[in-house]
Amino acid sequence: MRRSNALTWIYLTALFGFVFAPIVTSMVFSFNSDRFPTVPLGHFTLHWYETAFARPEVWTAFRNSLIAAATAGALSTALGFATAYTDFRYGFRFKNAYLALALLPPTIPLVIMGLAMLAWLARLGLSGTLPGIVIAHTVMGAPFAMAICRLRLQQMDPSLEAAAWNLGASPWRAMRNVVVPFSAPAIISAYCLTAAVSFDEFIVAWFVSGLNKTVPVMILEILQGNVDPQINAIGTVVFLTSMTLVIAAQLLILRKSAK
Amino acid sequence: MTHPEPLVQFSGVRKTFGPFEAVKSLDLDIGLGEFVAIMGPSGCGKTTTLRMLAGLETPTEGTIRIAGQEMNDVPVHDRDTPLVWQSLALFPFLNVKENVEFGLKMRGVDASEAHSRAMLWLDRMGLKGFEKRRIDELSGGQRQRVALARSLVTEPQMLLLDEPLSALDAHLVIRMQGVLTKLQKELGITFVYVTHSQSEAFAMADRVVIMGQGEIAQIGTPQEIFRAPRNRFVAEFVGRNNILKGTVPGQEIVVAADRMKVHDSAPDDHAIAADFVSEEFAGTGIICYFEGPEGEELKAQVREDQLATLAPEPGQRFWLTWAPEAAHALTG
Repeated sequence: MRRSNALTWIYLTALFGFVFAPIVTSMVFSFNSDRFPTVPLGHFTLHWYETAFARPEVWTAFRNSLIAAATAGALSTALGFATAYTDFRYGFRFKNAYLALALLPPTIPLVIMGLAMLAWLARLGLSGTLPGIVIAHTVMGAPFAMAICRLRLQQMDPSLEAAAWNLGASPWRAMRNVVVPFSAPAIISAYCLTAAVSFDEFIVAWFVSGLNKTVPVMILEILQGNVDPQINAIGTVVFLTSMTLVIAAQLLILRKSAK
Repeated sequence: MTHPEPLVQFSGVRKTFGPFEAVKSLDLDIGLGEFVAIMGPSGCGKTTTLRMLAGLETPTEGTIRIAGQEMNDVPVHDRDTPLVWQSLALFPFLNVKENVEFGLKMRGVDASEAHSRAMLWLDRMGLKGFEKRRIDELSGGQRQRVALARSLVTEPQMLLLDEPLSALDAHLVIRMQGVLTKLQKELGITFVYVTHSQSEAFAMADRVVIMGQGEIAQIGTPQEIFRAPRNRFVAEFVGRNNILKGTVPGQEIVVAADRMKVHDSAPDDHAIAADFVSEEFAGTGIICYFEGPEGEELKAQVREDQLATLAPEPGQRFWLTWAPEAAHALTG
């Protein structure tokens, strides 16, 4: 018993080490005074953060990414919730086809998705604009939002909504006062997760962003020029932002399923 | 039990779901202040009937009137027909008081009045001090009372109940039956109670409607249905009845188990010889089960002291008799 316990611990430590070692390395070097990532380390410095955030294009990229993440997160969540509710509430012909279609986007290779988005958005005159990035990221985020909301709605007693009508709530008020509050943990966690997806997403953003670069696109462009520890600094900030969103989403999902 | 102006009138109501005919043809009047139980086996159309009354289903044919007004096109939320759900359907994200206030808020009652009315009902249902509790912190009986308070706080003319006691323990069922009957008498409003449980229906209702396969099989007081079942379906559904061959060929008669006498020696020619099978303790006595001459199941209710004297062994031969007035002829 104790032996297998110890093995489990070794396994878990190795697993997390493997996953997180590169990220931790990058974080450590972001505070290292040396120009090149070599051991032994130099002394501690915030120099790379200072130079990175002294560049106006870094700020612009963060601003673009945050706006895109916030908006695409909201749109994906709204779409995903609406789709999940349709599935919960109505039965209709071709419902399986409808659900399969709604869940399709993550299965499309990102390069194809990026190319298609570029071609399509160019036609609409939206390529290279922030709304273009928002549209692309909404398409990518909505299926995740739908999956999360659907899981929550499956736990809802179907009589709950009818009980609200029965007590005098119109369908809209029942939605606002019963279905949405019941789904609130799922809606918030879907928002965090889809915002994180948008914030991190590189390939499609690279195709459609044009001059309005998001953070991941900018990182690659800096990297193509030279290896610069500023990347480690920016990467650390990106990692912490996404992790905060994902952990918040996970905590909400765990809390709701514990009930 | 005559009520001059029926509160609810079903006339020629039919409801189909695709090829399935849930309710075939329903004509039923329910009076103001009446406690009506609609009873029947599952799939008999009783829940559909209740849901049509609440507006959750629309009749395929026929009309439903409430207080004289035709209700077919009135949406659920514009009706005053609160329902106590089988699952109770309490809102888990609201506390006890917010649950009770919900209907008032939806009807535009202002916050302070909603609060005082909710508190009054919580007090009445013995839930004082529980107003801030979450629903999952309550016992089954407490939830039941929250559901009742939530439905009654808007002071409706009638309350619909869909098997509300089916999830409770037996001793709680008896207690809630008392709560419900008392409440109905005090409020003087109509209760329409759907159940598959004979004991619940007979214990509480003024009138019982027995439904089978989408149709009304019999309407009557519990006494009438128990003593004079109209047909074989009702007699069998009600249980504790013996269905026997009548003196006229082809005719069947019903004798209730508590009207059967058990003898350990043949008393006269009319007695039925039957072999003892088993016994079952019921609330009011002991039901003894016998096998008749043609393999049919026969039931007789005896007192505990009688059982002790008879001391039946499985397979032992007994003779069953009944007074002529205890027999009731079936018509269909």
